[in-house]
Amino acid sequence: MDLLGDHEENLAERLSKMVIDNELEDPAIMRALQTRPVVQPGGLNSSIWDGSAVLRRIRGPLLAQEMPTVSVLEYALPQRPPQGPEEERDLSERALPRRSTSPIIGSPPVRAVPIGTPPKQMAVPNFNQQILCPKPVHVRAPMQQRYPAPYGERMSPNQLCGVTNSSLLGHPFPPSVTPVLSPIQRAQLLGGAQPGRMSPSQFARLSGFVNSPLASMNPKLLQGSVRQLIPPAPGFRAFFGAPPPATPPPAQQHPSCPGPHLQNLRPQSQMFRPDTTHLHPQHRRLLHQRQQQNRNQHRTINGAAGDRGGHRSNHQEQLRKDPYANLMLQREKDWVSKIQMMQLQSTDPYLDDFYYQNYFEKLEKLSAAEEVHGDGPKKERTKLITPQVAKLEHAYKPVQFEGSLGKLTVSSVNNPRKMIDAVITSRSEDDETKEKQVRDKRRKTLVTIEKTYSLLLDVEDYERRYLLSLEEERKALMEERKQKICDMYDNLRGKLPGQERPSDDHFMQIMCIRKGKRMVARILPFLSKEQAADILMATARNLPFLIKKDAQDEVLPCLLSPFSLLLYHLPSMTVTSLLQQLMNLPQSATAPAPANPHLTAVLQNKFGLSLLYLVLSRGEELQSSDTSTELMQDNQWTELMFMATRELLRIPQATLAKPVSTPANLISLFSRYVDRQKLNLLETKLQLVQGIR
Amino acid sequence: MNYMPGTASLIEDIDKKHLVLLRDGRTLIGYLRSIDQFANLVLHQTVERIHVGKKYGDIPRGIFVVRGENVVLLGEIDLEKESDTPLQQVSIEEILEEQRVEQQTKQEAEKLKVQALKERGLSIPRADTLDEY
Repeated sequence: MDLLGDHEENLAERLSKMVIDNELEDPAIMRALQTRPVVQPGGLNSSIWDGSAVLRRIRGPLLAQEMPTVSVLEYALPQRPPQGPEEERDLSERALPRRSTSPIIGSPPVRAVPIGTPPKQMAVPNFNQQILCPKPVHVRAPMQQRYPAPYGERMSPNQLCGVTNSSLLGHPFPPSVTPVLSPIQRAQLLGGAQPGRMSPSQFARLSGFVNSPLASMNPKLLQGSVRQLIPPAPGFRAFFGAPPPATPPPAQQHPSCPGPHLQNLRPQSQMFRPDTTHLHPQHRRLLHQRQQQNRNQHRTINGAAGDRGGHRSNHQEQLRKDPYANLMLQREKDWVSKIQMMQLQSTDPYLDDFYYQNYFEKLEKLSAAEEVHGDGPKKERTKLITPQVAKLEHAYKPVQFEGSLGKLTVSSVNNPRKMIDAVITSRSEDDETKEKQVRDKRRKTLVTIEKTYSLLLDVEDYERRYLLSLEEERKALMEERKQKICDMYDNLRGKLPGQERPSDDHFMQIMCIRKGKRMVARILPFLSKEQAADILMATARNLPFLIKKDAQDEVLPCLLSPFSLLLYHLPSMTVTSLLQQLMNLPQSATAPAPANPHLTAVLQNKFGLSLLYLVLSRGEELQSSDTSTELMQDNQWTELMFMATRELLRIPQATLAKPVSTPANLISLFSRYVDRQKLNLLETKLQLVQGIR
Repeated sequence: MNYMPGTASLIEDIDKKHLVLLRDGRTLIGYLRSIDQFANLVLHQTVERIHVGKKYGDIPRGIFVVRGENVVLLGEIDLEKESDTPLQQVSIEEILEEQRVEQQTKQEAEKLKVQALKERGLSIPRADTLDEY
């Protein structure tokens, strides 16, 4: 074609002029300088997107000259005229550091501009500014085929509806289609002008420089461009209602317009963050996996495009061809992500985010266990590793001027000022009513519980700290731990100066409160045998009282588990006295009373009965294990057993509680002390035989 | 790209179609173009969808910038499943009319209720006279 040949010559000339190193030589820039005046905002009714006016101002004179003046590389290269120190500092502070070697981020740098300020380059494309100072800011890494609409890019949707030549009307070949980049430009962009990114507006301008004849010389290009020209439209239906006329396989397009396929791959690999020291090593693998999955998804959907409904392949097409995609640049995404990560920084993650840490630990253990058992592929679970901040001690000293009297009255977060002078006046004991005393006592108990709980949490945490600590620190840790355990016990029993602990009162108070009971159950494993036995005795001694108080909460059974663990370590003497406590009989048994209210109450309660069973079971175990054990020779035990069996027989079955578990060796226990008949009775009553349920 | 595994982050939702519910009850549907650390959203090609009963109507709104604190919830719309919904789309005029009618009936019912309570000497504080917090 004649037209083609003509333009070919021009093309060569133009291409040679594509790379202009000196900005002053660059006619585009110089012209822009001349046409500098700021865009006047139009009347009330003109939308801000009346950019056609703005664009024209820039594009117009350049197009007339027909010179591809500004090259991509110009934008891409970081050698920019210095814009002033603030811009550079801005960028360096805002952008994520390329390769940070240390995973520890110190406290955020002091900024003159507060954190919430977005980086300066994020401003609405100020076209003039950008031409003047083409910093490598907004070149987009994923080079999507952006074919700016012929009717001006930033028209408001309403205006678009009115544009006659718009493709909304189904016009496939808009007259002044501004297409594609020249092959060289494209190659440059794709070949990896690395940190180069362009804003959509710049890109539009850039492609505007390349003249339409360029594209028309390559019919394929044109075809490709039209196909992908989907104008922005107000409603979604309209937008996606105009499916591209044909969908050739991506491979065809490869040489001229790299298919969306390639584009999809490219951005993903380019978006791969070089700085992954903050992320778990598994993360990288998972990223690849995910990318593979996405690609596979796309492939399968595309492959079955024939069968599936049009809208599905349409969807995939739109994903790739969405001209408004990536308005938010990678840099900006990283910036937001960085802020979010900073918010996760913590000096003590176990303190701040306990449940999260524990949950992920559990998950990891699970997956580790799975891997050990089966040789299947290890399920990759990404884990967010938040940078740990070193704890900095801030000693804030209020500002002081020399030579002045007093301090500045400035109140800040670090230095709060005392506004109210609150004086604590203690009330005298006489004035209080009984109610108040009771209430105060309860409150004191609650405070004790809270304090003891803090100690408990610390003690429970020692194991983990032990593992993390160094050798020298371990001894100190153990000492601390022991001390805390002692403190806990003292708190439980009520610290008394003397050795004797005559009163169970303090302990009882704690046990009246639901949280107290749970706490005792948790503390028991840490106590020494004697201490724990003491607690157990106190519980047994006051069991009816506790049962009464527990009627609403029903939390006592939680104590069964630690108690049973304890029991199996106790010697026979203790077990005997324990049984005694349970039945509340004096040391020397006199004539047995007809009814034992203590024991009755015990038997009628789930916890009580279960505890009794445990004790009995333990006794039986001791007896059967060693025939010449003290238990057999102990009269007390025998007597107690008689009483116990008597009581058990006496109590009506209906009032008998349902125990948590019935130990198996009770039958053999009872068989020692009662005759056949009574044994049978006991069996049926207590449902000791397994078959009966 | 998996930005922040184990957390809730909007970065991966960018350029996808979302349905956003605002605190004032409006439902917006748009392409999420940009976010920031406060979860302020920039929605592109936004459509305000009004639902009345089984019908709904779309009002095209253009570009929305939503302040993060006003968002109740938002979710990605599955483009494939978007079309199979039992709801029926009607024109804007129609849906606005329906909405007006619905508001009216609600108000009347409310009025009757308040009247009945007043007769019995009770009063329920109305939601709009209460503070938000």
